[in-house]
Amino acid sequence: MVNSKPDELRETESKRVKVYILEENEWKDTGTGFCVGKVNGADNDKALNGKHSDFHRDLAAYLVVNDEGIPDKTLLLSKLEGNIEYQRQEETLIVWKDLSGQDIALSFEESTGCDALCEFIIQIQKTTETNISLVAVRSNDDGLGSVHEIITGPVNLPSNEVDQDEKVLMDSLKILNENTAFEYLRCETMEFVLKNSYIATLIQVFDKAESKHALRKLLLLSNIVKTLTLYNHRDILEQMVDDDHIMGIVGILEYDTEFPLSKANHREYLLHSGPHFKEVVPLKSEDMKSIIKKTYRLQFLKDVVLVRFLDDHSFNLISEVILDLQNCIIDFIQTEPFLSRLMALFAEKNRIENKRDGIRMLHQCVLITKYLEHSEKSKFFKALVRAGLFRIFDYAFGVETDSGIRILATDMVICIIEHDILLINTVQNELLNQHGVLDQEQHLPKRTSDTSQSALSSDVSLLSILSKILLTDKNLGLKEQVVQALNTLLHPEGCMGIDSDYNDTGNMDIVMNLSDGRGNGITNEALMDNVSFQMTEYFNNFYSQVAPLLFAPLINDSFGNTDDDILLIYLVKLVSFIATEHNRRISREFILENDILVNISKLIAPRHMLQLRLTVVRCLKGIVCLNDEYYHRYLISENLYEPIFGLLRENIHEDNLANSCLLDFFRTVSSQCLQAQELQSTDKKNFIILNKHLVKKYRDDLIAIDYVPFTQEMIRIYDEVEGTNTLTKTETQITFNSEGKRTFAELSEAKITSKENNGEETLTFKRAMEKLTTAQPPKSIKKDFLSNES
Amino acid sequence: MKLDETITLLRQGKHVSEETVFQLCLQAQELLMNEANVTHVDTPVTICGDIHGQLHDLLTLFDKSGGVEQNKYVFLGDFVDRGFYSLESFLLLLCYKLRYPDRITMIRGNHETRQITKVYGFYDEIVRKYGNSNVWRYCCEVFDYLSLGAIINDRIFCVHGGLSPDVMTVNQIRAIDRKQEVPHEGAMCDLLWSDPDEVNTWSLSPRGAGFLFGKNEVDQFLHTNDFELIARAHQLVMEGYKEMFDGGLVTVWSAPNYCYRCGNVAAVLRIEDTLDRNYMIFEAVPAQDDVGNAIIPTKKPQMDYFL
Repeated sequence: MVNSKPDELRETESKRVKVYILEENEWKDTGTGFCVGKVNGADNDKALNGKHSDFHRDLAAYLVVNDEGIPDKTLLLSKLEGNIEYQRQEETLIVWKDLSGQDIALSFEESTGCDALCEFIIQIQKTTETNISLVAVRSNDDGLGSVHEIITGPVNLPSNEVDQDEKVLMDSLKILNENTAFEYLRCETMEFVLKNSYIATLIQVFDKAESKHALRKLLLLSNIVKTLTLYNHRDILEQMVDDDHIMGIVGILEYDTEFPLSKANHREYLLHSGPHFKEVVPLKSEDMKSIIKKTYRLQFLKDVVLVRFLDDHSFNLISEVILDLQNCIIDFIQTEPFLSRLMALFAEKNRIENKRDGIRMLHQCVLITKYLEHSEKSKFFKALVRAGLFRIFDYAFGVETDSGIRILATDMVICIIEHDILLINTVQNELLNQHGVLDQEQHLPKRTSDTSQSALSSDVSLLSILSKILLTDKNLGLKEQVVQALNTLLHPEGCMGIDSDYNDTGNMDIVMNLSDGRGNGITNEALMDNVSFQMTEYFNNFYSQVAPLLFAPLINDSFGNTDDDILLIYLVKLVSFIATEHNRRISREFILENDILVNISKLIAPRHMLQLRLTVVRCLKGIVCLNDEYYHRYLISENLYEPIFGLLRENIHEDNLANSCLLDFFRTVSSQCLQAQELQSTDKKNFIILNKHLVKKYRDDLIAIDYVPFTQEMIRIYDEVEGTNTLTKTETQITFNSEGKRTFAELSEAKITSKENNGEETLTFKRAMEKLTTAQPPKSIKKDFLSNES
Repeated sequence: MKLDETITLLRQGKHVSEETVFQLCLQAQELLMNEANVTHVDTPVTICGDIHGQLHDLLTLFDKSGGVEQNKYVFLGDFVDRGFYSLESFLLLLCYKLRYPDRITMIRGNHETRQITKVYGFYDEIVRKYGNSNVWRYCCEVFDYLSLGAIINDRIFCVHGGLSPDVMTVNQIRAIDRKQEVPHEGAMCDLLWSDPDEVNTWSLSPRGAGFLFGKNEVDQFLHTNDFELIARAHQLVMEGYKEMFDGGLVTVWSAPNYCYRCGNVAAVLRIEDTLDRNYMIFEAVPAQDDVGNAIIPTKKPQMDYFL
């Protein structure tokens, strides 16, 4: 008999249990026994002979408890029937009210026993008694109140008929809303939606309703679709945006209860006016096409159609799905044939519009990497460079005339170098090592002369290209971008490449390729050593090859007309940047030898735009704050504070930005002097000397600034110092030195001890060096040391 | 550049060319450079709190408070981020300022920085509307020129966030070179980030920047500078405004139904010649096409897509 039943309806094992019954509001213990879930055919013969599909209907299920002392004595026989709600309370209790109204509780000895019987109830609900339910009740963490969670039970589902009136739709909406409340109901509903093509049904209903202008139906449908998005189910989202459903879905969502009198035009937008999917290079994969379209449509849903509606949860889910699809796309693009087909677009004979589309497409690829993981990003960018990204830059910066396209190309450069400055050079070098120089030249016959030269060394070709754009291109947006790219490329810490992924698989990949290509093992340490060498080379190259070109307008004193003020602002900011961030000796030598400070201080003259004048003041302030003796002497001996006081006199009685900018300078000087006095330290003697210079020359101007305390403070400090005999002597000497005319050549001849030199490194440079030195030395060097010792 | 034309475009939430934005930003810089870190304003004037890119609500604000043709306004910052029309809201205020220089005072909020706008929506909005981030850079440059505070009739101090332990007198603010990204600490940071709270003294702010300050600090600041009120924004108030510390400080919030879902009302505070305070409450308007509040936000992607 038992064997003839389906597996899931087999009797349960017996579990030890206490049976309680509620009488007059008290739970009465009726004894202890063993509980089983039993299924009996209502009519055994019929069950055996009847048609299989009727089989379940004829079964009756019971919870049976037999006394543990007297197995024949039945303590409980309760049928699972009607709409009984079983509650599982905590781990070991099952409580219910049977159809006669009797409250019954089973208290299991072990939770596994309770599990078994609950499982039985679930099986019965799913097969024969679909209207019973099982609810788990747990007390809250705080001990107050309780949480109900439906484990199994009847699920109300929306109608799947093609003909639905308003009332049916209203019911569906209500049901879908209610079903979001419990995990179980959500899952059942989701299964229903996916298995029964419910979304397709809705679209059919929608088409009819729209043709009949049944506005209320349309609004209900819109709310139903919105509610479905709140189920946060990936498959449903993806179904909504596939080719079969997208138009229907955005059509439905054109109607909105919040704006019942108007209608959006999503369908028109997707079909006609909006952007279209364009295959620049044949994808040769229908799956990929569909993924690309889905990604776009999901973004459209997220950013436009549902933007006012999504809660954080659904917003995040859509974002996650998009991210996942984008990952697929990026993976696909890296597969070899596609990238090389794309790069082939840039062959000379190709139409210019194709090349432009190619750049547009690549730009979009690079943009979507924004949210990728670091190593994934490295992998993709490396693949791009290997496939010949430089050919594209050659085209964009050498041939292309449309600034829109050039802007996109620069944007790509920025994305890649901000991710990892060394990446482009590293991969280029790797290619050179693999193919040999001649081979490389053949691969890239279209290189402009200046890039082909420098591409071979520690590479500043990108810097040259960008500098040229900054100086010559008329497009302001492009200039903005180029300055950002230059800042990134010239940042010493970034150039060390330490912050990037030196140990990730991507770079190991390079190491492997290198060793394969050359047939000798190159260790990570050697690579590191190479990086340090490269960086020194890189900056030397910058100062010898690029900086004279980049800063030419500041060197030749050929500022041109005032239209160039915007360009000059960029350049002065870059001066400020290299002075404060680069190795002090190299940058200072460059700045002073080329008279850059003398020239830029001329830009404080009134004929220039105020933004530029103040940018120069800030640049000089920044250099003063470096507390660098050479700069300090130079600024005083070249009389470069004069234009600053000219600007002050224009604004001395104004309360404006120029005035504040200058006050900030005086506040810095006075507070540095106060510190010098308090600490009795010679570290800040530059500021004492500066203060002396300023008060001596500009006492009247400083007195006129009577609305802040620190200008008066500057005068007081000066008078005090001058009045103090002990200090006067040394001070005079220093002053003599500093105010006596000395050329820069003399300055640089001054012996600089290695200790001073260290002190002059910028913070970022020092940090970078520290990281380098903590890396293990190349093994070859270790070996040498050992052999020397022995 | 035709200012009135641009204003019309902006009021409808329509696209403004990159070149126009650049020129607008450059002119705005020139105007803002002549302003003090703390500018002086006369009554009658209307004080407005956070806007957060809710262009249509900004238009309502002007409608219901008399309009810029007739009235003076002080905006307490946070023009951008969160809403769909950060660019239009900010540019509209710049245009009004260029058009009626003495009627609009704009104070910098903690969202008017490169770092914050990259995270909270303005940057993404620009990339979506223009396909690149240049317009964002132009606007950020203008942010650096915005004032840090304002004083009405020498009696009311306006600021975005609140007080700073480094600022006892308003004059101390004068020596800040404000043309910079908002620093992570110091007076300039605190003015934009601090919040009032029931604390006895300067306390750590849960925001990670600025301080919490209490009645003591407010009383002392008001007394030292001979002020009667600190007007600030920076915190959502469901009722639109909230006075604290026996009326010594008020928070004004001007973005109704913040983020299009908070359900709050908004307020502006009108200061009369007598220094009487009149609060005007307004709600979010239902959306309409062609008045800067089309059902579809202009976040639409502009370009063909290959991916």
